[in-house]
Amino acid sequence: MNRFYMLFILLGMYFVSAYSQESYIFSGKVTDHKNVTLPGASVYIPAIDNGVFTDSNGNYHLHIAKKGTYVVQVSFLGYDTYTDTIMITANTKHNIKLTALAMSLQEVVVKDNYAASRKKEESLNVEVVNNKFIQQNLGGSLSQSLERLPGVSMIGIGSGQSKPVIRGLGFNRVLVVENNIKHEGQQWGSDHGLEIDQFAANRIEVIKGPASLMYGSDAIGGVIDVKQSEIPTPNTVGGQVNLIGKSNNNLVGSSVNVFIRKNKLFADLRGTVMDYGDYKVPTDSISIYSYKAGLHDHLMRNTAGKEQDVHFSFGLIQPDFQTRFFVSNVYTKSGFFANTHGLEPQRVNTEVHDKSSRDILFPYQSVNHSKLINKTIKTWDGIRLETDIGVQRNLRREKSKYIAHGDMPANFPETLNMDPDMEREFDKYIYSANVKTSYSKIERLKLFSGINAEYQNNSIGGRGFIIPDYNLWSMGLHLVSKYTLSDRSKLQAGIRFDRGAINTKEYYDWFPSTVEQNGVETEEYLQRADKINKVYENISWSLGYVYNHQALSLKSNIGKSFRMPIAKELAANGVNYHRFSYEVGKSDLDAEVSYQLDMGAEYNKNHFAIGITPFVNFFPNYIYLNPSDKHDSQYGLGNQIFYYTQSSVFRYGGEMHFHWEVIPQLQLGIMGEYVYSQQLSGEKEGFTLPFSPPPSALFSVKYQPIHFNLAHNAYLSMDYRMTAAQNQIVPPENKTDGYQVLTLNAGADFQLGNQQINVSVSVHNVLNTKYYNHTSYYRLINVPESGRNAVLTISIPFSAHMH
Amino acid sequence: MKKILFIAMLTSLIIACSDSKDIDDIKPEIDTNVSFAFPKQCTTLYFGEDFNFSALFTDNIELGSYSISLHNNFDHHSHSTEVTECELGEIKTPVNPFTFIQDFEIPDNLTEYEANQSITIPTGDENGLFDEGDYHFFISLTDKQGWSTQKGLSIKIMHRE
Repeated sequence: MNRFYMLFILLGMYFVSAYSQESYIFSGKVTDHKNVTLPGASVYIPAIDNGVFTDSNGNYHLHIAKKGTYVVQVSFLGYDTYTDTIMITANTKHNIKLTALAMSLQEVVVKDNYAASRKKEESLNVEVVNNKFIQQNLGGSLSQSLERLPGVSMIGIGSGQSKPVIRGLGFNRVLVVENNIKHEGQQWGSDHGLEIDQFAANRIEVIKGPASLMYGSDAIGGVIDVKQSEIPTPNTVGGQVNLIGKSNNNLVGSSVNVFIRKNKLFADLRGTVMDYGDYKVPTDSISIYSYKAGLHDHLMRNTAGKEQDVHFSFGLIQPDFQTRFFVSNVYTKSGFFANTHGLEPQRVNTEVHDKSSRDILFPYQSVNHSKLINKTIKTWDGIRLETDIGVQRNLRREKSKYIAHGDMPANFPETLNMDPDMEREFDKYIYSANVKTSYSKIERLKLFSGINAEYQNNSIGGRGFIIPDYNLWSMGLHLVSKYTLSDRSKLQAGIRFDRGAINTKEYYDWFPSTVEQNGVETEEYLQRADKINKVYENISWSLGYVYNHQALSLKSNIGKSFRMPIAKELAANGVNYHRFSYEVGKSDLDAEVSYQLDMGAEYNKNHFAIGITPFVNFFPNYIYLNPSDKHDSQYGLGNQIFYYTQSSVFRYGGEMHFHWEVIPQLQLGIMGEYVYSQQLSGEKEGFTLPFSPPPSALFSVKYQPIHFNLAHNAYLSMDYRMTAAQNQIVPPENKTDGYQVLTLNAGADFQLGNQQINVSVSVHNVLNTKYYNHTSYYRLINVPESGRNAVLTISIPFSAHMH
Repeated sequence: MKKILFIAMLTSLIIACSDSKDIDDIKPEIDTNVSFAFPKQCTTLYFGEDFNFSALFTDNIELGSYSISLHNNFDHHSHSTEVTECELGEIKTPVNPFTFIQDFEIPDNLTEYEANQSITIPTGDENGLFDEGDYHFFISLTDKQGWSTQKGLSIKIMHRE
């Protein structure tokens, strides 16, 4: 295995490997000793530094430029590495059988060579998961499905909307990349979800730690890099049907994918639909302040929703050139818990609201996210050039019944050309471009450089003001070098320059307010936001070291990252309808800067693996929304005012994991995570940061693989999560008790004739425990997490060769 | 060099943080059950008259400020935070409802404060008389650290016959 790693790390950062110039095709199938295909196995030829992963049918396909004798290495985690010498004088077909190793570790993360090599290669701490992991741990949204990874949590609202949190940092501090283009929505909103279809995600990489170097502003807390389907093998047609059902919110859904590839041309189409009802919580009533809102049948009133997504991708692939287009549209609509939205606890007409658990009434949100992306790669001898171009539009609407507050007219004036029920609307267009090159002709040294540029234009609508219209320009330039010191160690260093400009527009109320000056009362349209033009510049850097020798792997990285303030932080001036607060921006904020030291140590031998990934982090000027002792008397109901401010923050923490294979079929795992944050200056000196995740440990037992006549790769597993109490709080949070939750999983691949069917069943919160998640947005109003939930996913892959 | 500096900086920070001081994590309290408190749940107020808002505010360290909001509840949209329910009038569309929003300071360094604020409810404005019926009386209190407590009372505001 270790020899494999040493050679394999040369493959570098991109999973799409460079194809050599012409002309012989070396292809075949990789299976295990029982002829079960092995998708994701690595086929690698060291002599020409060329390799591929097998596709979903275990097929591989390599272009070899010159006739000759080559050593081929085929490896797959959990199997003995296969080495053979092959003479290539013509197109060659070669099928390979791998022998299973007695032990196979790291089941908890993923059995995937790419993941293993990527983790050893990168000096930052990385987790890599594939679509199988998503299927087996399917949550209501992508962020929920990733929650099982140590160091990853989420801030959610309801059952289908959530945003990822990495080591306690979220929102604009976690950058999400889909198909190499930065995903841009309204990241700041804690009541919104991430507009990504988790069924379209083929491989997800989570970088835990500041990664501004490669990704620019916003990657200050980490990166979630989502890659869609890989390129199919030549002359195949195929696809997959996924069916999903959930018991808690009665979700039914399906995602269907079809792909086709002739020799050089390929296309891939996917459609996803999901529809769910209100989710159930193990309680009869919700206490908002001291007001108890009764629940009908344990249902969270009006939290039903739906999702409809379509993705189309097509492209051309040649040995030294490939281009691919991704077109997608993701649409979601979901209700907010009806009793809290607005300025105070709401009374609702229960007759109307409780009639159906599937309807979406006011208040609700809808989002439509469209994307067009092109990714093109050209390779020459030792040089690789990649361009990514993207256009996105994010249209978000929040609707609720008109309720006057502040000086708003008691009845909405019909003369205004506005939808009275449109609470807020955000319409954002995003244009992005990246150019990346890599150069590997110098011995031991690999150079990467790149430019990113982005332009955003955000316009607002609706009756409730929070952020103004704005536009934003940003560009960055980076240079990274990887130097191989020895067989065992590598050095990685990089530097980046960023420049960004944000221009916000002024905003006046749509209704007049009475203003008293020197005893004279006049009616005025009050100004809520000034024009702001700001330019930010920054130099980020990073230095890392990786050491891999036999069972031991060590890594260390130190770096500086940054983040430009967003429009909300600079210019907010309005009511937050979810927590009854009034939020005010600060126009002279500095760009946020973070220094972080990351370490990693792992020992992985025979029947056990143990690893630890600690970090220490310092922000001289963390941007913080500070709850003050002041009240607003102009706009809301005399709500408490929260001001954006900056304070220095010190954080440390880390993750650990331990895996032990007791007998070949039985694996035990423990994963733990811990983060400590403290503000070192400002009005909240001594306090933590909002939404700090409590310490948590996950104990897992997995029994696999079990083979029956019709079922392969059957597994049974149990996850027991123990989370400590969170007593480190900051206004307006409440202390949250610790909890234990049990999850059971089972699944198998069934062979029915020629057709394979993969089935996974999970039961979350088996004991229907009533507990609170400190990082849930609804925690602020005492909503417990969802009760028992059985999730069934079925996937039916199909494929055929074309002649 | 920079790395060494950075590690030194972090180490000193850890040392600096290890004597973490106690933070305030207790919310202030609004007491509208004390004998002198006014209005109380289900109280009726009258247009064209003054009333004295009274309540007892307490905090473990230092009180911040408070605000009062009075707005119509003709559509029964808002709910009191009190256990006792009041009898609400018919649902109706507002014509000229009364609205009052004001914030008030609390003197510095107090852990206990008896709010005593005279508030005038006019009979009407240039659009005529204010609508009588169900109103919501919303009190928000903060302490200096930014913790807050809210209380909502159901009241009626009527015109004197």
